[in-house]
Amino acid sequence: MIRKTLLALCAIAAFNLSGCKLVKNLPEDEKAVSAGASGDAVRTEQRIADTFEAKLLPYVRDKALGFTAFRTALAGGLDEAGNIHGNRGSGQGAAWNFAIADEGVIVAAKLDTRARVADLDVDGDGAADMTIQLGPVIRGNALRDIAPFYNFDDFRDQIEFAKLGRALNDRISAEVVLPDGDLIGRTMRFTGVVPLKKADEKLLVTPVSVEILP
Amino acid sequence: MHIKRRLLITAMALGVFSATTGLAASAATIAIITPSHDNPFFKAEADGAEAKAKELGYDTMVLVHDDDPNKQSELFDTVIAAGVSAIILDNAGADASVAAVQKAKDAGIPSFLIDREITATGVAVSQIVSNNYQGAQLGAEEFVRLMGEEGEYAELVGKESDTNAGIRSQGYHDVIDQYPDLKMVARQTANWSQTEAYTVMESMLQANPGIKGVISGNDTMAMGARAALEAAGKNDVIVVGFDGSNDVRDSILAGGIKATVLQPAYQQAQLAVEQADQYIKTGSTGLDEKQLMDCVLINGDNASKLETFALSN
Repeated sequence: MIRKTLLALCAIAAFNLSGCKLVKNLPEDEKAVSAGASGDAVRTEQRIADTFEAKLLPYVRDKALGFTAFRTALAGGLDEAGNIHGNRGSGQGAAWNFAIADEGVIVAAKLDTRARVADLDVDGDGAADMTIQLGPVIRGNALRDIAPFYNFDDFRDQIEFAKLGRALNDRISAEVVLPDGDLIGRTMRFTGVVPLKKADEKLLVTPVSVEILP
Repeated sequence: MHIKRRLLITAMALGVFSATTGLAASAATIAIITPSHDNPFFKAEADGAEAKAKELGYDTMVLVHDDDPNKQSELFDTVIAAGVSAIILDNAGADASVAAVQKAKDAGIPSFLIDREITATGVAVSQIVSNNYQGAQLGAEEFVRLMGEEGEYAELVGKESDTNAGIRSQGYHDVIDQYPDLKMVARQTANWSQTEAYTVMESMLQANPGIKGVISGNDTMAMGARAALEAAGKNDVIVVGFDGSNDVRDSILAGGIKATVLQPAYQQAQLAVEQADQYIKTGSTGLDEKQLMDCVLINGDNASKLETFALSN
């Protein structure tokens, strides 16, 4: 039976080669998305549409600790803190990712680069406690890796997985708007994600929101 | 066909029986199949897997496929006929290897893949691969920083049949292309080869004397490029590689190549053997099939801690 169908299909295929091509018009939402690399862009866009506003942003806001609570949690050990408050990226040696929400005074800023950053003093001792990424280039995959619902096994390969990380970064980068003029001394309120491989690593925050207070 | 199947079932029953009584332990063999050991990276993989297998009480069959899918297929026939308990494989092509791994599966032999992915899931038990994309992003971020976000650069690409050549190149460009003042003036494959990279770099330099940096898909090509640059008196050109070889470590420490990205090859191969052991004993690894391992940036700060594709603390 299968063989007969196959033969029939071959015959049709051969017939098509002889000059006329049958094109079936599908409605837009029924068009098959390629399972290969050429379908990555569509799938990534769809994932972002399905999850960014509806799942990722609320997830980060709900999980976010204030800086003091974060530091207290971390004092008990990275793995312990991670198991309770964080999420680990896929694979061996991947960082724990923690959501943090707080505000602090900008003590340093590097804005003459494509990867702009500001250093914040959150605990009021005058020294920088963390660095906030301000785009347009955002490094790392913290936004992807904080989310337990983005699982590497659901992706074709590491390229498709990486494309989601980049698309999330681009999405957030487009929303970062900084006021003109000097930022030093101004207060920034933020919610974001910190990846950590070691407890004493410098904190590099990928924000989901930043606001310079008046 | 039926007889074969029955034989298999009998063999499997025997396997289960002897495993539970512990009689199989001394006779069990793990096959370790990788590309040629000429490249120290693959040698480190094979050494890591072999050491762990012996530690766990297995015999080993260590074989190389030389990146030839036909040879790989023959090797699979050999190890299937030999009745090995598991296969550790760094494969000879993402598409071409699916059939070989399936063949082993059909014969009841589980495969554990390292370093390179194949394009199908549910065929191998584990696919433990370095996160080449993440590693390439790390290397590219360091490259961008060293370049001061501007200037002309060249890219050396790996062997096209190897998925990692494309993954690394995409990872590099994912980062570098976000900097409009970095201009790629040349891009060519040197097939992972040091001598080929030397020649390619020479001609790239002739056509583009203003090159300020070279980003390379692996360390052997980075070594070739660096040698050509030194021969041309261009010692200040920034070179960044990928793999974390001892050669590049030494070059970094001597002020030559600026950075590379370590793939934990030795550890990865050991992990694959541990999972094979777990699977042989319990019928499950308890883990997802596809597992990533993060790569680590190596530069002047930590190069001295690198030895044979492993970083000490």
